[in-house]
Amino acid sequence: MRGQNALAAVLVAPLLLLLAAAFLVPLGTTLLTAVADRELADTLPRTHHALAAWDGEALPGEEAFAAVADELGVALEERRLGPLAQRMNFAAGGQRALLLRTARAADGLTAPYAVSLPALDPRWGERDTWLRLRDATGPVTPLYLLRALDLDQAPGGAVTRMGEEDRLFLTLFLRTLGVAVIVTLLATLLAAPVAFLLASLPPRWAGLGLLAVLVPFWSSILVRTTAWFVLLQREGPVNATLVALGLTEAPVQLIGTRIAVIVAMLHVLLPFAILPAYAAMKGIDRALIRAAASLGGSPVQVALRVYLPLAFPGIAAGGFIVFLLAVGFYITPALLGGPRDQLVASFIALFINREVNWGMAAALSVLLMGFAACAIAAARLLLPAALKGRLSP
Amino acid sequence: MIPTRALCAIGLAAMLAAAPAGARDLTIVAGGGPLQDHMRSTLFQPFARASGIAVADTSYDYNVGPIRAMVQARNVTWDVVMVEAPDLVQGCEDGVFERIDWSVVRRDKFLPGGAITCGAGAIGWGVAVFYDTRRNANGPTTYAEFWDTRTFPGKRALRRGARITLEVALMADGVAPGDVYRVLATPEGQARAFARLDALRPELMFWSGGQQPIELVNAGEVAYAVGFVGRTTNAMRSGAAYALKWETLLYAYDYWAVVRGSPHAPAAMRMIEFITDPAPLLELTRLWPINPVTAAVANDVEVRARNPLMMTNHVEKGLNISTEFWIEHGPELERRFAAWLNR
Repeated sequence: MRGQNALAAVLVAPLLLLLAAAFLVPLGTTLLTAVADRELADTLPRTHHALAAWDGEALPGEEAFAAVADELGVALEERRLGPLAQRMNFAAGGQRALLLRTARAADGLTAPYAVSLPALDPRWGERDTWLRLRDATGPVTPLYLLRALDLDQAPGGAVTRMGEEDRLFLTLFLRTLGVAVIVTLLATLLAAPVAFLLASLPPRWAGLGLLAVLVPFWSSILVRTTAWFVLLQREGPVNATLVALGLTEAPVQLIGTRIAVIVAMLHVLLPFAILPAYAAMKGIDRALIRAAASLGGSPVQVALRVYLPLAFPGIAAGGFIVFLLAVGFYITPALLGGPRDQLVASFIALFINREVNWGMAAALSVLLMGFAACAIAAARLLLPAALKGRLSP
Repeated sequence: MIPTRALCAIGLAAMLAAAPAGARDLTIVAGGGPLQDHMRSTLFQPFARASGIAVADTSYDYNVGPIRAMVQARNVTWDVVMVEAPDLVQGCEDGVFERIDWSVVRRDKFLPGGAITCGAGAIGWGVAVFYDTRRNANGPTTYAEFWDTRTFPGKRALRRGARITLEVALMADGVAPGDVYRVLATPEGQARAFARLDALRPELMFWSGGQQPIELVNAGEVAYAVGFVGRTTNAMRSGAAYALKWETLLYAYDYWAVVRGSPHAPAAMRMIEFITDPAPLLELTRLWPINPVTAAVANDVEVRARNPLMMTNHVEKGLNISTEFWIEHGPELERRFAAWLNR
C-alpha cells in the first residue's frame, strides 16, 4: 500500500512540477514585483540604514544628510542612479531633478551636510522630502497597487485620491470588465444555437460545420483582426453595403469605435464558446429527450427543463473561457479601437515596453486578475440560483 | 531512464547552442523606412567596406524601453542607436548609453548642441501642418487657424503623446513660440493646453507611427494633419500635392549613441565618426533631404539650394523642442495626457 502511494506520488510529480513552474512561480513573481521596493536599499545602502533609525518627527540627523550627499555622487559617477531616480520620480514629480542635481553637486558639498544640502536645494530642508525617501526603504511598498487604483501615497504613507485629471485606471478596469461581460454574453447567446445545430446534424454535415468553426479558430488573432480592419474601414465593404442599402448617406466611422472592438473580439472568441457547448450537447442522451416528450412535455418544456440543464455546464464553461480571454485582450482594441476603447492589457504593455516600470505593470496585472476572479466567483454563485429560479416550475 | 537522459542531453545541447549568439555583427539601429534604406547604401555599408567590420542594421520605433531592458538584463544586442534628445540625456544619466569617445569622434565638426556627453548629432527632424490641396484648396497656416473649425472644417490629426501636442495647443491658445515652455511649466499653462485640446477633441484623431499622418491625409480621414516634414516633403517630391506650412514647424535633433555594455563599443565609436563625416553625408543628401547636424554639410550652399524642401532652410521659422523641459516634465505630462485621452 505504501509502495503504491509512493508510485502515485512519483507519477503525479511531473504534473505538480509543471503546475508550479507554469502557474505558481509566475504568479508569485508578479505579486512580488507589484510590491517590491528595492531601489533605495540597492543604490544608497547607508542612507537606507540611516533612515531606518529615523523616527520621522523632526529632520533626520547629520548621518543621513552625509550619507545622501556621499552616496548620490558615487551612484551618479558609477551611473547606477537611474532605477532610484525613476522610482522616486514615479512617487512624486520633480524628485528625479532633485536627486540628479544633488548628485552632480555632491563633490562640492562640505560638512555639515545638514546645512550644505538645504543650501543647495531647499527641498532637503523639508520633512516631506525625507519622508518620501523613507517610504521607499522597502522591502515592500503599496505605491504601485495604490496607483493602479487611482490612489496616491502622501509623504509618510497616508492614502489619498489622485487628482481628477490624473485618474485613469478605475475607468480602465470598469471598461475592461464591461467589454468582457458584453462579449461573453453575446458569445454564449450566439454559440448555443450554433452548437445545438452542430450537435443535431448528421455526422457528415456536422464535420463540415465543425471545420467552419475550427478553421478561423486555428488562424492567427492578428490576421482575423486585420481582416475586420479591412471590412470596417471607411471605404470598406460594410460601409459600401450600408450606403447601398440607403441606411446611411455617407460612410460611417466604424474603425476606432467600441462597436468595432466588440464585433472583432466576438468573432475571435466565438469558437471558445461553441466548442465546449457542442461537446456537452453531443453527450446528451437523445433517449432522455424522447422520454420527456413521450411523457407529455411540450417542446418548450423539454428544451428548458431537460435539454438546457444538461447542456448548461458546457455553455457555462465556454462563457468562463471567453470571459477570461476577453479580460486580457490587447491586439484587437489596439488596432480597431479609439483612445477610449483601450483595455487594461494595453497599459500593462505600455508600462513594460515603454516606461520600463515593471512594478506598475505587475500591479495592474494582479488587480486585473483579482477583479476577474471576483467576477467569476460572483457568476458561479449567481448563475445556478438564477437558473433554478427560471427552470423550476 | 535512458530516453530521459538522452532527452536531457539533447535539451542541454540545444540550450548551449542557443545561449551565446556568438560573433554578432556590429548592429546599428535607426528609425526605418526609406531613409534607413538610403543610410544603408551611403553610410552603413561604405563604413563596413572601409573598415572591414561587418555591419547589420535594424529599425525601431524610437521607444527606448527595450534598450533600457537589454542593459538591465546585461544582454546587449544593439550597438549604435539613433535616439531622441530627451531619451538620450536621461539614458546617459541613468547609464543606458556609453559616453562618446571624443578622441575617436571629432567634436568640432558638429553644429552647436550636436556633440553631447553620450551622443553625436545625427539628423534633425521636425513636424508641421500639412494637407492635400486636391481635397482642400486652403488650409490653416498657424495653430490658431488649425483650431478654427469654422473657417477650415474637417478632422485634424495630432501626435498621440504629450510632447509636441501640448506645445501646439498652447500656441493655438495665443502663446508666442518663445514663451511656450515657460508657460507650459506652470499648472495654469498646462490647464490651458488641455482646455484647448478639449475644445478640438471632437475633430481630433491621433497618430503614433510616422507614416500614419500621410495615410490619414491621403485617405481623406482627416483634412489637416501635423506630421513629420521628412516624410511629407519626400511625398511632395514624388508628386503629392501637399501644402506644407513651415510657419508651424517644431524641430529637434536625433543623436547617434552607443548602448552601454556593447561588446562592439570601440568599433561603434569608429562607425559614428564615419557616418557623421561630410563625405558620406553629402552622398545621402543626394537621395533624401536630411537635415544634417554636421556643420560642413548643413551649411553647404549647394546642398541647401538643391533641396528647397530641406528643413535646414526653414528652422528659423520653427520652435526648437526643449530637451530640458521634457526630461523634467515628461513623465508627469505624458501620464496626464494618457489619462486625458482615455476620458
